[in-house]
Amino acid sequence: MSSLARLVLGVIVVASALPVTGRAQAYRLRVDTRVQAVAYRGNTLDSIPVGDTVTGSTGGPVTRDGFAVTCIGSDPYCRFFRPGSVVHAAPVTAAADFTLWGLGLPGLSIRATGRLVGDLSSAHNWPGTDSHVQLLEGYAEYAAEHLTAQLGRQVVASRFGFTGFDGGRLAYRTGQRGLEVAGYGGWGLARGAALPVTSPALNPLDDFQPRQRQLVAGAGAGWVAERFDVRLSYLREVDPRVDYFVGERAGVDLAVRPAAGWSLVGGADYDLAAGWWGSAEGTLGYADPSGRVAATVGLRRYRPHFDLWTIWGAFSPVPYRAVQGSVAFTPVAPLRLRVRGESYTFEDADVSTPLVAYETSGWRFAWGATYTPSNAWTVDGGYHSEFGPGASSRGFEGSVSYAPGERVALSVHAATLDRPLEFRFDQSSLQLYGAEVLYRPSPRASFHLDASGYAEDRARPDAAAFDWNQLRVSARVVLLFGSGADFANLPPAVRRMPGGRMAR
Amino acid sequence: MRALGSSLALAALCAAGSAAQRPPPSQAAAAAARFDHDKHRKLFPACETCHRGAVDVTAPLWPDPASCAACHDGVIEERVSWQPPAERRRSNQRFGHSPGAEVKSIPAAQCVDCHAEKGAPWMSVERVALGPCLDCHEIKTAHLAAPDTACAICHLPLVRAVRLTRQDIAGFPEPPSHEQPGFAQGSGHGAAAKRVTPVTPSCSVCHARDFCLQCHVDAPEQAPIQALPSDPRATAIVARLQPPPSHADESFLARHGEIVRRSATECAACHTQESCLACHVARPRVARGLRRAEPGRGTGALVHRVRPSWHGDDFAGGHSQRAAAAPATCAGCHVRADCLDCHRPDAARAAGYHPPGFLARHPAAAYGREASCSDCHNVGNFCTSCHARAGLKAAAGLLRSGYHDANRFFAVGHGGAARQSLETCVSCHTERDCLPCHSALGGRRFNPHGPGFDPNRLIKKNPQVCTACHGTAIPTR
Repeated sequence: MSSLARLVLGVIVVASALPVTGRAQAYRLRVDTRVQAVAYRGNTLDSIPVGDTVTGSTGGPVTRDGFAVTCIGSDPYCRFFRPGSVVHAAPVTAAADFTLWGLGLPGLSIRATGRLVGDLSSAHNWPGTDSHVQLLEGYAEYAAEHLTAQLGRQVVASRFGFTGFDGGRLAYRTGQRGLEVAGYGGWGLARGAALPVTSPALNPLDDFQPRQRQLVAGAGAGWVAERFDVRLSYLREVDPRVDYFVGERAGVDLAVRPAAGWSLVGGADYDLAAGWWGSAEGTLGYADPSGRVAATVGLRRYRPHFDLWTIWGAFSPVPYRAVQGSVAFTPVAPLRLRVRGESYTFEDADVSTPLVAYETSGWRFAWGATYTPSNAWTVDGGYHSEFGPGASSRGFEGSVSYAPGERVALSVHAATLDRPLEFRFDQSSLQLYGAEVLYRPSPRASFHLDASGYAEDRARPDAAAFDWNQLRVSARVVLLFGSGADFANLPPAVRRMPGGRMAR
Repeated sequence: MRALGSSLALAALCAAGSAAQRPPPSQAAAAAARFDHDKHRKLFPACETCHRGAVDVTAPLWPDPASCAACHDGVIEERVSWQPPAERRRSNQRFGHSPGAEVKSIPAAQCVDCHAEKGAPWMSVERVALGPCLDCHEIKTAHLAAPDTACAICHLPLVRAVRLTRQDIAGFPEPPSHEQPGFAQGSGHGAAAKRVTPVTPSCSVCHARDFCLQCHVDAPEQAPIQALPSDPRATAIVARLQPPPSHADESFLARHGEIVRRSATECAACHTQESCLACHVARPRVARGLRRAEPGRGTGALVHRVRPSWHGDDFAGGHSQRAAAAPATCAGCHVRADCLDCHRPDAARAAGYHPPGFLARHPAAAYGREASCSDCHNVGNFCTSCHARAGLKAAAGLLRSGYHDANRFFAVGHGGAARQSLETCVSCHTERDCLPCHSALGGRRFNPHGPGFDPNRLIKKNPQVCTACHGTAIPTR
């Protein structure tokens, strides 16, 4: 057993002991442990003298046995990848989500979410397993009727995404009027990660990286009313070393409920640092209160955002505009049908590329059906297809699930996929099949097993058409510990009822 | 008082749902095998001939089966297999002839006074003839419609009818009063329970405190309930709490927070803190107006966490605007861990926000930015590291061919594709790959700036970006 595995086991054991040791306060602890065993093909870097290459069907150099190669300037050798031996990996994560309250001061609580991450295999090559200890959130919160204060590592959700930082946040609410103003600040974390931007784990290609964490400051003001919610957001990030902006954005979000079942949601953000509008969206939706019909139609604009410690924003990424819609309805009780689609077109990139053709628009749609003949059985099937710049894919997918009660659920699923790519030799067909089992012996514990296989047929014009077959087996254990009102002893009459409380 | 009335309504609501739960009486089969008195009416001139125990407590109540054989010998009459009951009849009647009965005999009363309707032919007997009972006690209604105060005249409280099984209790007939409109209200069963202090005896005939605890969250605060002794068999009559009409309103889910904040008293009649925490898992504070579930207090309404209809079928893919506009609304039902589960995916995850097998089709979704990948995935830690391990790693410089369809002209024609899908390029390429051509300090000096580029603003915000290509000689427009 590796040291990481012992550490994970130790955390679980300690967590198991907490119900005894932590009885003085009310607390909640959720331990979610996952492990996955993966076998996939590896690759081996190879080289060939420039003089030994031949011209391939698309004009580029290839080896005599058909591998497309990369030749760089004056380098006498061209390089390419050959299929390698099967690689094994075993990523494991143990996540703990902990909340403690009842600390003597009403409204005071402590919250923390952390993970232990690693690769139990000897290869240690699974991406995303650095660093091994990650604190996603860990803060103390004081919440009163009008005020909430948080101090520590936290994540703020806004239309700019999930902004993580180590610092403080203060929010003031007016109560029944539904107004709220909030401000926060601290030392920022990287986008999409629980790590600072200075972490080597975020820089696998040894690119330029900031030397110090950015300072984050943000504010928001919202109004929640009976018929609408509106919120203004502002976020700035500053490099403290030179006192320059890493990013500065402002945005607005709006959700309107004009009538029962109807909603209009949307928002937009403006990049104050780059001087252009970022992403925006507006969606009109209807959801029948009975759940029989749900439909949306909307417009969307997407432009990526890059921090100013990179040069990517100066390359003027162009946005695309999309129109989208979806409908889901229940024609007869056990059958649910759904269809959705989106068409998008990029704005003019203002560049001339006579030697390379590329797509400037795309679409995607999917349809599917769910048939539920009984409470226990669910049959689901669907088709999806998308075509756009860079890649496209299309395929069927289906699953059959059997859940005779709350405790056990079985499911098998399969899918097919055709995946032609633009700019790449990766025309492939894939078949996916798998099965999963969920066992929940009590509301406080669940066990999940999943096995999936990928069988690939790669239609590539060169010799590198080796498969990408994979076998993945994963296991998950979720344990819930805690005290509090919802776990207090139930009345004796209920406990004595035949069949237990669920019988009601 | 308002709380009392509301909470008393619960018991009636419980009772209203209980009738359908009752199985047939367990002693019905035994009744079918009873001796046919009517058929033998010409043979026996007196009851005591067979039932000596009715007048002599030392004698058995039932005749010896051997005495039947005097006639039923297979010659005179066919043989019979009648046997007296093996055990004493289970009953909650105060009257009876068995040693355990509270009233074994009534002086001066004849057998037919209790066991035959008035004017019935000889030996047309019943186990209990209700008519004479009601007449004698001057009850002018049908049996089950008797006044609440009358039941205890003939019946023991449930807690003292110790021989009754759960099945027997479940088979109790339901009085018509319990089906009356309004019985569910506090003015119905609640008032009935308080007609006699501390609790109307008729309630205790069928019910004990445990029955009330199936619904009454406020049981400790209700004197009539506390006056009932505890008996676990009482839950054999299963109660189901029905939600009041106000809960059926479409907007109730959205408005209930406001109602609770105004006054939790009414809610506290049916709901414990457990009700709130079934959904508001992250906000134990919202439940503080209600009572904790605890021994001696009813569970009350059981709230099941349901997906609101307005979430639609693809809420995960389009929830961001709603969540950004009113994050507190989400926090009502979701903990931050729910968000982090997808927004900070872990390395060992098999499937979650994306369907199984998404890895195989992610290029199309990523190129087309079906969603903003970087909201959840760090490009360096997630995309680039995996691509690099899979061999999708730019070595140095772009003036080469091979990867991009081995198209020898891709490097000079990549601009449009790059501006459209720059996030995708960044998942394999670093800034070093671009600078040899796009830097103003050397190389080929291809201007990378496109539509919307505002150099003056960028210089003001962060001139370091400019120095990467321009050094200190940053041009302005």
